Amino acid sequence: MGSVLAATSPSPAPAAAGGSQGVPGLVSVPPGFTMPAVSSVPPTSGSGPSADAESSLPNPGTYEECHRKCKEVYPLQMEGVRLVVNKGLSNHFQVSHTVTLSTLAESGYRFGSTYVGSKQTGPAESFPVIVGDMDNTGSLNAQIIHQLTSAVRSKIAIQTQQQKFVNWQCDLEYRGEDFTSAVTLGNPDVLVGSGILVAHYLQSITPGLALGGEMVYHRRPGEEGAVTSLLGRYTGDNYVATLTLGGAGAHATYYHRANDQLQIGVEFEASTRMQETTTSLAYQLDVPKANLLFKGTVDSNWVVGATLEKKLLPLPLTLALGAFLNHRKHKFQCGFGVTIG
Amino acid sequence: MSGSNGKKGSSSGVMEWIGSACRFAADRNDFRRNLLVNLGLFAAGVWVARNLSDFDLMSPQPVT
Repeated sequence: MGSVLAATSPSPAPAAAGGSQGVPGLVSVPPGFTMPAVSSVPPTSGSGPSADAESSLPNPGTYEECHRKCKEVYPLQMEGVRLVVNKGLSNHFQVSHTVTLSTLAESGYRFGSTYVGSKQTGPAESFPVIVGDMDNTGSLNAQIIHQLTSAVRSKIAIQTQQQKFVNWQCDLEYRGEDFTSAVTLGNPDVLVGSGILVAHYLQSITPGLALGGEMVYHRRPGEEGAVTSLLGRYTGDNYVATLTLGGAGAHATYYHRANDQLQIGVEFEASTRMQETTTSLAYQLDVPKANLLFKGTVDSNWVVGATLEKKLLPLPLTLALGAFLNHRKHKFQCGFGVTIG
Repeated sequence: MSGSNGKKGSSSGVMEWIGSACRFAADRNDFRRNLLVNLGLFAAGVWVARNLSDFDLMSPQPVT
């Protein structure tokens, strides 16, 4: 049970939530569907005890993880009622049942399963990891993650809408001692001659500074193009500042861990195509003695939101309440969820 | 007379500059204005996170 939970996302609720959760970057998820969230494995400690003075720089992690620390502080929008039942069947296999009742999206049932293999590469890492979930209309989200060698990891993800394949992608990641490179091939179609290729590279410059870049190349009949962006991340004792600059705009995040209970995230986004800029502030309050987790956010579009999670010990129940209020558009959205197991 | 006309000219120029700056600051449809405002909000948010978050919620309450 422990190794299954360690390999899966720390929060089971996002697996059934609307919006682009789980697989970051390339896959844009249609409304009502999510890719199962699988947390990335933390970077390995390079060459371990045999590291010499020249390779003292740590592995910088993956490109997608750079903004994740700040994004995880933000509360998720909840709408309607959700009931989640998680059941671990063995140390390798876990299933989940999710029932959602909603006024905005379609209500339904979703079955999810997670399998974690026996190849243990770390105290909380085992491979392969196979995650999948299917809803009552037959739409499937599935991921397979496997550590091919000590430095190479691969991932295959597919998403179907009933019987039609909507997204399929293959990901290959190489972790060096002080750099990480990854290549992702999305929706390749040899017959039509279309597809998307994404390349990432992240290099540790100093123990705190990492610089990297991303290139996205897309092709379809009669059209092709490429977009590049640069990333810089600085990690301090209790903060992480990340900046991404590209042709489409800029994205800056600042994550600050004030103490064991309080974490704060600040985010700035500017889109030159949409001619829009947004700034938001979020905080996370974690009180383990009260089994309470509270997240709040406010942004420059006059949107205020919060979620509260409370574990109802000794029962294996977690109660979640969430509400978002858009003052400018006069819209209110609230949600309620119960997680068992 | 010419001195007062010169002062009036410079003060009207300053007033015009202040007026155009206020119109720029109040124009919600201007991308550069929104960019500057949000950059300022981001900087303010970072300052708040670094300087105003050092309180311990679990510390014992003072006895009165």
